[in-house]
Amino acid sequence: MGVVVQTIGFGIAAGAVISLGAVGFTVQFGISNVLNITYGAFMTLAAYLGYWLLNRGLDVWVALVLVGLALALISVAFNRAFLSPLQRRGAGFVSVVIGTVAAGIILQGVIVILVGPGAITYGAQFGRTVSGLGFVFSVAQLIIIGLTLTLMLGLHLLLTQTKIGRAMRATSTNRTVARACGIRTERIIDLTWLLTGFMCGVAGVALAVTTVTFDFSLGATFLIYMIAAAVLGGIAQPYGAMIGGLVVGVASQFGAAYWSPAYQDVVAFTILIIMLLIRPRGLFAAAGVARRNLSAT
Amino acid sequence: MTGYEYYVVVLLVYFGTFLIAAWGLNLEFGIAGVPNFAYIVLVAAGAYTYAVLTLGPDSSNGGFQHYIYGAHLPFVAALLCASAVSAILGAIIGITGLKRLRPDYQAMAMLVVSITATTIVVADTGLVNGSAGLALIPNPLHRLQGSQQGWGYVAMVGVICCLVYAVLRRFSSGPFGRLLRAMRDDEEAALSVGKNVVALRIAVQAVGGGMAGLSGALLVGFIGGWSPSAWLFIETMALLTAIIIGGMGNDWGVVIGTLIVPTLIVQGVQFLPTVGNNPELIPQLGWIILGLLTIGFLFFRPVGLVPEGRATPFRQGVEPDDARPLDARRDHALLSFVSTLPERPAPILATVPATGESGDILSVEALVREFGGVRAVDGATFTVGRGSITGLIGPNGAGKSTTLGIMSGFIKPSAGAIRFNGADVTNAPAYRRARLGLVRTFQLSREFGSLTTLENLVVAAPRARSESALGVVGGRRYWGLEEKEIKDRARELLALFQMEDKAAERARNLSGGQKRVLEVMRAVMTEPALLLLDEPTAGLSPLLTHRLGDACLALRQEGLSIVLVEHELETVERLCDTVVVMVLGKVFAQGSMADLRTRKEVQEAYIAG
Repeated sequence: MGVVVQTIGFGIAAGAVISLGAVGFTVQFGISNVLNITYGAFMTLAAYLGYWLLNRGLDVWVALVLVGLALALISVAFNRAFLSPLQRRGAGFVSVVIGTVAAGIILQGVIVILVGPGAITYGAQFGRTVSGLGFVFSVAQLIIIGLTLTLMLGLHLLLTQTKIGRAMRATSTNRTVARACGIRTERIIDLTWLLTGFMCGVAGVALAVTTVTFDFSLGATFLIYMIAAAVLGGIAQPYGAMIGGLVVGVASQFGAAYWSPAYQDVVAFTILIIMLLIRPRGLFAAAGVARRNLSAT
Repeated sequence: MTGYEYYVVVLLVYFGTFLIAAWGLNLEFGIAGVPNFAYIVLVAAGAYTYAVLTLGPDSSNGGFQHYIYGAHLPFVAALLCASAVSAILGAIIGITGLKRLRPDYQAMAMLVVSITATTIVVADTGLVNGSAGLALIPNPLHRLQGSQQGWGYVAMVGVICCLVYAVLRRFSSGPFGRLLRAMRDDEEAALSVGKNVVALRIAVQAVGGGMAGLSGALLVGFIGGWSPSAWLFIETMALLTAIIIGGMGNDWGVVIGTLIVPTLIVQGVQFLPTVGNNPELIPQLGWIILGLLTIGFLFFRPVGLVPEGRATPFRQGVEPDDARPLDARRDHALLSFVSTLPERPAPILATVPATGESGDILSVEALVREFGGVRAVDGATFTVGRGSITGLIGPNGAGKSTTLGIMSGFIKPSAGAIRFNGADVTNAPAYRRARLGLVRTFQLSREFGSLTTLENLVVAAPRARSESALGVVGGRRYWGLEEKEIKDRARELLALFQMEDKAAERARNLSGGQKRVLEVMRAVMTEPALLLLDEPTAGLSPLLTHRLGDACLALRQEGLSIVLVEHELETVERLCDTVVVMVLGKVFAQGSMADLRTRKEVQEAYIAG
């Protein structure tokens, strides 16, 4: 029993970071209709920016917020200068995906050239441990869990309860009609990239905090977990991504505990592939987002 | 072998093996529109299969690497097995296409498959030696030495490339290539003209997979080692970039793209000396250039260096036996459409629908369709008389289009049944209904944009020999004559609708009205027994509307049954023998237009005034 509880605890800790990344990723994908593979490379960038700030003597949580802000601006610029023009030129879904992969490759290459291929570490940022109910968490893990919950809830409320959120969903469903209805879609899209960019930056630093050492491939490797979480939860669903992240986290920890640490990812991804086969739009599929291309007429 | 010579040999072998893989991926993605982001997994599977089948039992080389099975197959047998394993794997991956997903969802799913495959290989060291990979894989030309071996391998890869090209063209060009491009341009439209899209996808992914396996086996036979780091998902990107730069959908463009991209940039730069103390600098520079090239082409030349040509070469009016009937028609071009009808030498329909049987061709029984809590169709029941034109009218939101979607198999009913020609087709997939003769058009035109108007019609011909396995094997000798007949029929149809001058125009360049007409012509091309037209006159000028009406009447004369969803009552009155009025998902009334006009409740519900 103790092992089960502890494994769930590890799973929640691992899942929280995945969720944190996935919430921003899924909303970005859902609202802007871009499967942005560069998200992983941007998280790597965030991790290195955080490292730089840390070495300037900043507290890690201050660095996390600052990096979040920086990535928010970078993301807006990325969309404005690159993805929007590409879409305006009539590039299809898949072409845009390929464009973001290319951008990710470039960014990762630049990072390697600037900082070298070696691994770095934030040092111990975990704080003391807190235990209760059989779980043991470090303070850092608790902060990340709290952050994830806050950001997820905030985004969810924004999307479902506010006028801006409604405008965001309208823009996602049909940009032309949304514009015709008086929604300033450019601003809505900017806002989407600003928010999700912030979350990307925060997730990058949080990931670096929980990873012992990391290198230039940090985000690219991690991206697959976020995709898994986002797909499991259903695209554009903040709470779906969070639950998806937890499922991936807990499943991989159970795989590690009861099978072999080597298989932990296999377990997580197998769940995802089964999921894709039986319920391809995710557990909490948003109506109108995933279905648009398929409606009969 | 000198350093320089070795360099050239390596580049040439890489070029040849990459080319085979790039052709395969281009067939899948560029031509058939399947975004297979897991393609490199199939290359890897071929490489591993070849390795395991030639290395012998894993105890035979000191036991420093372990893997499953292990055999000493001769080179050719191992090569063919590698190709077959990847083909099967490709078909299995293709089954994911059973779930019709948005293309970016598919891409994402493929990405996951790719990375999962890597994870499995890295995790399980019993399978193919985990992340360390396999080494000492025998070179098939191990009896030769030095430059003989090197150039021998280049020659062998060259010959295999030529063979692969010959096979590839059977799928990527001619009628079969046209069929794949139609599927790529619009999957639903392909279904509506009776194409089994799922089977096509699986077939294409099997062929593409076979090519991937061949490529992997040839590569690994040359380099002698293979590990997960050689087939990261990013390698699929290198191939995709080659395709985008060379020209998506163009086999020769891919040759150029492969020369530029993977060979020179990704592999070429690895032979350059290392600069400074950063060993990652050179390979990363290669990737950066690759990324920049991709973005540059996506922005400034998305069609690539050698754009995709027409699916089938078009020779305007040069076929002598073709020209006569066209010229004969042109004389009448200025006359009104109807006056040309009695002079028609041949019927519009190639096969006359069976008119001998009496009674109803289609019956809709207690049809229900719920969307969430909304009952779009709520127990609709009506019949369609054989050889008649039945109008389906009603206010917006009455469930007419949904009913039509269910009749054609594009929407699954929540309850109820559809009987066509006496057979229950409620659960038959859309393409099968189309093949039975139950063919629909779409409210918003869905044309095969990259095909010409003529090709749009030709591709819709049913049971074409060129689309069968025998046709792919037999080639033009097997289907050439039939292809010509189909083209003749398509030209007659074009003449009938006065669209001959648009025959060579790509469909995406047609006007809205022309696209509507094309939609109807394409449906007629499938030799239907019952045509379901969803607001065919929406957005048409009065003249074109009238002309389309004439065509419907002429088709009925030949025994075709038609269901017409229509808002323009004048058109309904003119064409329809029977009219079904739907309101709120239910059939409100059924009868002749004259009959309905006298009924007060119908007037109140719909025909106000």
